Amino acid sequence: MKHIQKIVSLLVTISACWIGLLKASIIPHSYTWLLPIYLIVSLGCYGLLMVGYGLMIFPTCPKEAELLQKDIMEAKEFFKQRGVDVDSD
Amino acid sequence: MMDLADKSVGFILSAISLSIFTYYTFWVIILPFVDSDHFAHKYFLDRKLAIIIPVLAGVALVSFLCIFIGLVMIKSKKKSS
Repeated sequence: MKHIQKIVSLLVTISACWIGLLKASIIPHSYTWLLPIYLIVSLGCYGLLMVGYGLMIFPTCPKEAELLQKDIMEAKEFFKQRGVDVDSD
Repeated sequence: MMDLADKSVGFILSAISLSIFTYYTFWVIILPFVDSDHFAHKYFLDRKLAIIIPVLAGVALVSFLCIFIGLVMIKSKKKSS
């Protein structure tokens, strides 16, 4: 519930700023009408950028992958000796 | 091998997002200040499209999500009955 309240209050402040900008006419009117759409497009762009950046930065650990495969084989051998078949294919 | 594919996909995604952002910023904010006989106006479409294209994309996204959710619900109901 608190999360929804945070989001709703954020939306209310942003729309209040936008209506205030409309009334005060500091910026030419054609800009103020385009501002919400521009903000939404830039927000989507920012999300996409974060996803792409995270994909580029994501660390792979090849040594740990090898150790993990070794562990899996050991566990399979161990269980096969006791008569349990854990092989998935 | 796998991380090279991941890195290239991430790079392509960030390149697409940066280009869309700069193009849209130029379109909406900078272009009205440029004189109308500058050569740069050729590269940008009509300003009315700057509103229509994001709205169409948003509508397409929302309808795609609704259709996907509907299909999943129908599939799960068919399985349970």
